[in-house]
Order: sequence, then structure tokens, then C-alpha cells
Amino acid sequence: MNRDYLSTNVILIDDDRELGVMLTDFLRPDRLELTVCGSGEDGLACLASGDFDLVILDIMLPGISGLDALKQIRRTSDVPVIMLTARGDDVDRIIGLEFGADDYLAKPFNPRELVARIKAILRRSHREAPESDQLKLGEIELRPRTRRASVGDDALRLTGTEFEILRCLLETPGEVVSKEQLSERALGRRLLPYDRSIDTHISNLRGKLEQAGNHKESIQNQRGVGYLLIPGE
Amino acid sequence: MRSLLIRIFLSFWLIIAITIGIAAVTGFYYSERSRVAFENFEHGDTILEASVALDKNGREGLTHWLKNFPGSQSITIYVLDEKRRDILGRRIPPHITRMVSRHRRHLPPPGMGRHDPRNLRRARPLSQLVSADGQVYTLIVSPTRHPPYSGRMPVRSLLFVVALIVSGVVSYLLARAIANPIKKLRDATVSLADGNLEMRVGASVGKRRDELGMLARDFDSMADKLARAAAQQTELSQNISHELRSPLARMRVALELAKRKAGDLSEFDRIDAEAERLDKLIGQILHYTRLDSNPQKEPVQINIGDLIREVADNVNYECKSDGIDGVSVEASFDASPTMHGYADALISAVENILRNAVRHSPPNGAVYIRLSQEDATARIEILDQGEGVDDSDLPRLFEPFYRTKEAPDTGTGLGLAIAERAIQLNGGEVSAHNLTDGGLRVTIKLPMS
Repeated sequence: MNRDYLSTNVILIDDDRELGVMLTDFLRPDRLELTVCGSGEDGLACLASGDFDLVILDIMLPGISGLDALKQIRRTSDVPVIMLTARGDDVDRIIGLEFGADDYLAKPFNPRELVARIKAILRRSHREAPESDQLKLGEIELRPRTRRASVGDDALRLTGTEFEILRCLLETPGEVVSKEQLSERALGRRLLPYDRSIDTHISNLRGKLEQAGNHKESIQNQRGVGYLLIPGE
Repeated sequence: MRSLLIRIFLSFWLIIAITIGIAAVTGFYYSERSRVAFENFEHGDTILEASVALDKNGREGLTHWLKNFPGSQSITIYVLDEKRRDILGRRIPPHITRMVSRHRRHLPPPGMGRHDPRNLRRARPLSQLVSADGQVYTLIVSPTRHPPYSGRMPVRSLLFVVALIVSGVVSYLLARAIANPIKKLRDATVSLADGNLEMRVGASVGKRRDELGMLARDFDSMADKLARAAAQQTELSQNISHELRSPLARMRVALELAKRKAGDLSEFDRIDAEAERLDKLIGQILHYTRLDSNPQKEPVQINIGDLIREVADNVNYECKSDGIDGVSVEASFDASPTMHGYADALISAVENILRNAVRHSPPNGAVYIRLSQEDATARIEILDQGEGVDDSDLPRLFEPFYRTKEAPDTGTGLGLAIAERAIQLNGGEVSAHNLTDGGLRVTIKLPMS
């Protein structure tokens, strides 16, 4: 897996064309090949026809909104998504994560920060498979090598971030994992002040586990510390 | 009926007119009846008849005559013996007893006493008869007192009760017809003021054709305009946010590209910092307008202590990552009050006041935040070790973009203004005072639940 020597295909869905042009220049030295689409419709068409490793999606788009585009992407694909949101708009900022985005960045952002986020998520996606091939607790089963998750016989569809969070919790069932640790492992970045990303991802994960019929094991919040997975009886 | 004015006017006018009419007619009827009876009463003849009966058959004859006296309903004749008892054994009304006793005492003629306030009343004929055995009988002619002494009491009370009930029901219906729609309108107004911009009354009160219906339709058009204005403002805020931030986003990318070509110049860092500050300012302005105009999320139960802990942790974190010289926030708790309110607004209030305190702190200084409670009020105090402010600046400290002369040029000028609005939104108040040994104390008071 010598990904470092290959360029990575990233798609930017944003109606600010000039920003797209400059970002393309900015990302090239980092071997990130940027494809720019000016609307949600174009972006979805592009995604369907090409092979992309990561999506950067602006929440404010002409035509279908960034959120609707995200919902459509998630219907068919688990590709990592970074949302570009407006600072100070708490609702919009978090709502992207609720619909399955992996991370978000408030616009206007420092482009170096964008590169750092992209690399963190890509690193996680291409991390070497760990020694243990299978993690299991009750009916929950994870296969990190093939990135598959299941509850009983039913497959569990998780985004990359949700998969990593569940993996962290499954490695030490019954023990508290701090939000800082979860952020480092699953998002590849430090936890920021007022950062609700991990809480939102956990809430999505709980919903998916319950929907898949798992009611025995539960993810609990240890106030001010972090989260832990409680094994069922 | 179309108009409430006409309805109320006619109802009251009609009720009052009918009352006056009935009172006048009955009063006239009764007084006329007794006047006619008195006028037609042949006093002399009656006395003569009575004395003839007394002469012929003594007391028995008189009793018989009295029993069969044709008379009229309006006139009652009492015949009292020397013991002042009616010979028919009827109860003597007290006014007659008084009259007779006064007569005995040789006072002026009955009903004409100087001190009698009723001396303008008709003088009642009073005659005395002496029987053969020397007994004296007093004959008194008196108008019959109708209502209380009448034998038709049950009918009259029933009529009275029915009248009371009917008039009560009519009055209640009228009152309800006015009060009900007003209550509905009031509920709608309260709901609208609470931020429910969807509230309309056209389907209920608005169907009326009177003034209240007109008011309801006016209320609806006002609510429409409010909702439109709120929607426009939200849209405008989003557009401003988007339009001002897009150039900033491009600027920051361009700046990074320039750095690559020209190397790291200190001016680039300055441009970067200014761009970031401009972005913060845009965020603060939007936040400030939103606090005032747009309905907030649902109020929730807030543990104020937990909230302060979280904000203090975050501000400490910011101090470290922003390289503010060793300033730390230290929180202490004397109580654990809870309140019902808007958590996001309260967080931004405490955060902005803390940031302000940190900015004005000397290197390695401490900012203290204390939580206590008095009765039903939670009190948060934030104390810094800075210079404090001029007393003349204190009242204007929470105004948007107000700067004291000494203020470092680092804030957006909106932090404390946002704090004040956010606290007011939560039903509380905020004030600032200079500490005697330097530094500023900001006090937040919040109503507890």
C-alpha cells in the first residue's frame, strides 16, 4: 500500500469556482488531485462516474443543498466526506455529521487545516490492518481487515468514522475511552473546544446498532470523560 | 349582529329601559290602587255601621261585622280592644301599634308628629267606639301592605328566582360572547410573542363579522408580516454570511499560495490574523442579530454548574492554544442551581465574559468564576486581575462596539453585548463593578427553576 507515491483523487463540490481553482493549485504539491464541481447535481454525477477517495462538500449550494447531496451520497457509498460549513451556525455545523459526514470545517478555513484533515482521514482509511483480525462482543462483530461490521447475521453499514469509533470501544469493552482519544483515532485530529463531532458520531452509531437489532450492548457516556461500551448480560 | 358596539349598546340600553319601565309601571299601579281605595272609602259610613253592630250585639256583633266587611283588597280595617289586640286575633303591624300608643299619649294626630320623618304620609283615620259595657274599641283603617304580608308569597319568590336566572343566563352569554374570542386572541398573542410565528386565528375568531373578527384578521396579517420579516432576516443573514465569507475564504487560500512563492513574511501572518478576525467579527454580528430577532431552540433544563465547568475548560484550552501568557480560569461552586432556559445562549454569555476577562488579565493572572445562589436567584461572578475600567465607562460597557480608552485592540467589540442579550433572553441581568484592589467584577443573576 504505497499510497504516498500515488496521487489521491479528491472531489470538491462548491459553487465558488475561483476558490476551487486556487485550492487545486494548493493541494497538488501534497499529491491531492482535486476535481471541482459547481453544484450538487454535477457533483453526484461526477461521483457516480469516477473513483474518488474523499469528498469535500460545501453545505450552501445552488440547486440541491449540500445536505441533500450528502444524503444521496450516503445512500450508495461510504466514501469519507468533509463538510464545509459556516462558522457560528451551530445547527448547520452539526447537522452534516448527523447525516453521515465524517468531519466538518468552518469556512473560511485555513487551507493548511484542510490538508491536515484530508490527510488524517485518508491515513485512517489506509491504515495497515491490525494484528487481530476480528473483534467481537456479544452479537457485534468487526473485521477491521475487510472493514466489515455486523450484528448477528445482519451487516452493519457504518461510515469510516463510525467504524473507527466502534473499533476503539470494542478493543476495551467496559473501559472508558476519552473523547480526545476517540478524536485522535477516528478523526486523526485533536479535540477542539465545543467540539461535538464525537458525540454526534456516537449518537449515529447508537442509532445504527439499535436499528440492526442490538439492544444488549450499549454505548454509555461518562460525563466529562468519554464513552464506554457496556457488554450485555 | 354585525357590530359589537351596536350589540353591547342595544343590550345595555334595552335592559336598563325595561327595568325602568317595569319599575315605573308597577310603582304607579300600586300607588294608584291604594289612592283610589282610600278615596272611595267612606269613613263616616263605616264607623256608623260598626257602632250600630256594636250597639246591637256587643263585641260579638262588632266581630261579625268586621269579618263580613266587604272592603277592598287594598284596605284593611283593624279593630283593637283596650288591650290593643285585634278582635279578629290578627297580628297587628308594628306601625299601627306605634300609632295607637302615640295617640294614647295625646301626641299630635297620627302620622303628623313633628319628629316623625314620615309625617308627609297620608294620615290614617283613627276612630274610637265605646260599647254599652264601657269597653273602648279603636278602629284603624290602613292600606294593605302587599308583598310581605300577602298570601301569594310562593308565586312571587318563584317569579323572582326565574327572573334572576334568566337575566343571569343572558348576561353570562353576552359576557362570554365577548370574553371568549378575546381570550383566544390573547393566547394567540402570547404564543406569537414566544416565537410561534405560525400562530393564526383566522379559522376561529376571524370568522366573526364584528370588531373582534376584524381584530383577528388584523392579527393574522400582522403575524404574516412578522413571519415574512423573520424569514427575510434569516435569509439575509445567511446571504451576508456567505457573501462576506466567500472572499475571505479565497483570500486565505491565495495567502497560503503567496507564502509558498515568496516565503514566510511576517506581513503574511498579519494578513492571516486580520482575515481570521474579520471572520470572527462577521460571526459575532450574525450571532448578535440572531439572539434578538429569531426564535431560539426549545428551552431546556440547565445545570448551571456543569455549564460553567464546560465553558471554563474550553476557555482554559483556548488560552493555552492561543498562547495567552499563562492566564488560567479557576472555577468555584457554592451551590448547584438549575434553571430552565436557552443553554446555547447562556454558554455564549459566560464564554464571552470569560474571554473578555482573560484578555484583560496580566501575564500569569487568574480569572475567578464563582457560582452561588440566593433564594431563587443563581449568581455567577467573574473577577479578573486587570486594570478595571473608568467608572464613567461602566454603564456603557455592554453596548455594541463600545471601547474603553485603555482597551487592547483585540476583541470584536461585541462579546459583552452578546453576553447581555443572551442573559436577558434567559430572563436574567448582568452588571459590572470595579473591584477595590483593581480588576473588574461582572455579576450575572439568573432566575432559578
